[in-house]
Amino acid sequence: MAEDRQPPDLVEGATSGDVEDEVHPTAKSAEDRKAAAALSKLDTHADDEAAPGREVDQEAVKNAMNALGGGGADKKETKKVKVDAADVNLLVEELELSKPRATELLKAHDGNALEAMRAYLQPDF
Amino acid sequence: MPQTLSTREANLFRTVIRNYEDKQYKRGLKAAEQILKKNPKHGDTMSMKALILNAQGKTEEAFALAKEALTIDMKSYICWHVYGILYRTNKNFDEAIKAYKFALKLEPDSHQIQRDLAILQIQMRDYQGYIQSRFTMLKARPHLRQNWTALAIAYHLDGNLQQAENILTTYEKSINTTPPRTDFEHSEALLYKNSIIAEMGEIERALEHLETDCKRSLDRLAVMELRARYLSQLGRNEEAAKAYRALLDRNSEHPDYYKGLVGALGIAADDEAALKSVYDEYAAKYPRSDAAKRLPLDFLTGDAFRTASKAYLTLMFDKGVPSTFANLKHLYSDPFKRDTLPVLAEEYLRECGSVDEGAGSGDSSKGKGAALYFLAQHYNYHMSRDLARAMEFVDKAIELDPKNVDFHMTKARIYKHQNEIGKAAATMDHARSLDTKDRYINSKAAKYQLRNNANEEALATMGLFTRAETVGGPLADLTDMQCIWYLTEDGEAWQRRGNIGLALKRYHTVFNIFDIWQEDQFDFHTFSLRKGQIRAYVDMVRWEDRLREHPFYFRAALDAVNLYLSMYDKPQGGANGVESGRSQLNGEDAAERKKAAKKAKKEAQKAEREAAEKAARQDPNKAGGASQKSKDGEETKKKDDDPNGTKLAATTDPLGDAMKFLGPLLQFSPKNIEGQIAGFEVYIRRGKYLLALRCLRAALALDRNHPKVQEQVDRLQKALGGALDSLAPKLQEVIKSELALVTAV
Repeated sequence: MAEDRQPPDLVEGATSGDVEDEVHPTAKSAEDRKAAAALSKLDTHADDEAAPGREVDQEAVKNAMNALGGGGADKKETKKVKVDAADVNLLVEELELSKPRATELLKAHDGNALEAMRAYLQPDF
Repeated sequence: MPQTLSTREANLFRTVIRNYEDKQYKRGLKAAEQILKKNPKHGDTMSMKALILNAQGKTEEAFALAKEALTIDMKSYICWHVYGILYRTNKNFDEAIKAYKFALKLEPDSHQIQRDLAILQIQMRDYQGYIQSRFTMLKARPHLRQNWTALAIAYHLDGNLQQAENILTTYEKSINTTPPRTDFEHSEALLYKNSIIAEMGEIERALEHLETDCKRSLDRLAVMELRARYLSQLGRNEEAAKAYRALLDRNSEHPDYYKGLVGALGIAADDEAALKSVYDEYAAKYPRSDAAKRLPLDFLTGDAFRTASKAYLTLMFDKGVPSTFANLKHLYSDPFKRDTLPVLAEEYLRECGSVDEGAGSGDSSKGKGAALYFLAQHYNYHMSRDLARAMEFVDKAIELDPKNVDFHMTKARIYKHQNEIGKAAATMDHARSLDTKDRYINSKAAKYQLRNNANEEALATMGLFTRAETVGGPLADLTDMQCIWYLTEDGEAWQRRGNIGLALKRYHTVFNIFDIWQEDQFDFHTFSLRKGQIRAYVDMVRWEDRLREHPFYFRAALDAVNLYLSMYDKPQGGANGVESGRSQLNGEDAAERKKAAKKAKKEAQKAEREAAEKAARQDPNKAGGASQKSKDGEETKKKDDDPNGTKLAATTDPLGDAMKFLGPLLQFSPKNIEGQIAGFEVYIRRGKYLLALRCLRAALALDRNHPKVQEQVDRLQKALGGALDSLAPKLQEVIKSELALVTAV
């Protein structure tokens, strides 16, 4: 990694040359400024910091949260199928699928590469 | 080891962050360097500096610095966060997600990192991850409605409708005061929940929910439409009919409402009289309604059709509605209707010829002119084409009014169908000259010029309507404005002229525009939530998922794939150093090839010269151009380092490049046989027999008798005859059995 490091003065030089080119974010007219202000508001997250909503019953929310339980995502049940790495590679190579996609396809066909390939050949419409 | 800052420098560091957020990059940079002077190994400051550099467009420098910062201070969540932001702004979302996750591990309570991560997850459609993130965010701030809604959306998109509804209901129960009627977010959230219930197929409950909870919704039209639909789905026809009548009273032009009403009334599809009476009722009630008069033409037959269409045509011709033909041409799939309409138009012509000869001095597009115009279009239309007669009628129309834009435009179209491309372009340009303020005819003229391979003239024509001050001239403006039809036509014209570079350049530009559309959704993951427009947001997310189904994409991508194929088959000699062992062409071909290459080279040089001149001309305005650059200064327009596509044309791997276009083509438009055929051609050249076979199977399923498909079957068999033994055994087995299926039939 040492060769990646640059002496600080070098970095400085590279940037300072461009300082003059930098565009000043000054607006031409009041109109522009207003538009700019409105635009930048679009991206702020002021609402996130908003005070607790008055119409919400804090207690009820807490109860609701508890009712939801801990885990957000229910893990989808995946079949436990043994998949041969050679088969995965074959599918990746011949069908140009990503590795996870190829594994998924194989699993869907109980690890049978022949069936998986045949299924993939079917027009999907 | 991380260094700690003195109070003074810690304050300075906060200034850096503030400066970055306020987009005062110069100041931020100065402050950061001040810190680094004393603490050259302060990772957080280095990261912030990298961030500022990135915002200034110095991407590579920024990445190097951020990486260095990380090696110095692995345990800093700021460093990781910055690293993620760098990846994100450079569109490498997968890496960005990884970096964010790391940052979050180091600082699990950072709301900002969590939010950034969530946005990336939904952008990448990682629903499971998004659910997790949203759940965490909800736990941190359960008092905010949008956090609840967001979690519901996450479940909804993941397909867990039950849970989505559950989340929304849970929140609703926790509200202890009724929101005011004007609460838009509330109103939308209720309708959103309603759409989820309906999506689960529980129409009865959806209707009930609609009639109670959504009764006071601000989107009254949506409530009315949903109610009508639910009622008819539930077979409560009487009420459904009433609901559709209420909708028709709001808008008597909406065909779906008529369809719904007719369905609810239980009228048989062949009971013309009964059907007609429904429409007549509304035609009488709303005399200005077009739909009530026009829609019956779809189902009427025989004399009833003749009478109705005569009345309709007469009305339209008298009024002079230019779109009359366009509104009726869908009827032409019925031969009787196709033959009846021109007879009626000629009848009309005879009648008005005897009555108001010369009286039509007012507006020539009304009466006689309108009928002639209709007939010209009729004989120009592909299902009823007789170009000589079309020309006859359009000339008569022009005689009536030599200054009518529409008439000349149709004449140009007729020329086009006669394959007189040059004449067509000239005529269209004449039509344009008749109304130079009309953008539509201007675009048409440019398109016809492109068909005539006159790219330069076309660009000049388009330039009449582009923003004059755009840096880079009309083409840059058309690219900025994402004018896809122009870019595609321009590329096709360059291709016909043998300029592969510019053709590829245009197709790639179109491809990139679709990328931009995909990225454009990024801001809406937060914006829509904040605005509470959930239904529209979900619609948008689903639309983005099948963005590249669009015919615009298909056309440009197919062009590109076919061009790459021809480049592979006929490599350009010498000019770009792809002379390879592939060229087994005979001398004649080679000579031709050389000539074409020379020509292309000359043209490229010319274009380059022109571009340079243009750039030189624009230089004096540089100051003016700079002020236009967006305020944050980060949008320093990246200079295109390959404006003429020379690099694209110099590719050594045209088939690999074609894959970029082909993938989405096959995925999103599998039913278009042209795409499958092109897919086969690419795959067989690359030796991917299974994938070639897949395209072939699809093509066969689409159109067994397509001449090209049969040829491809033979070719695949021949190719496999030699290559089969060298393939993996499993592959051989599949190919053998599947190929037998293809050839057997």
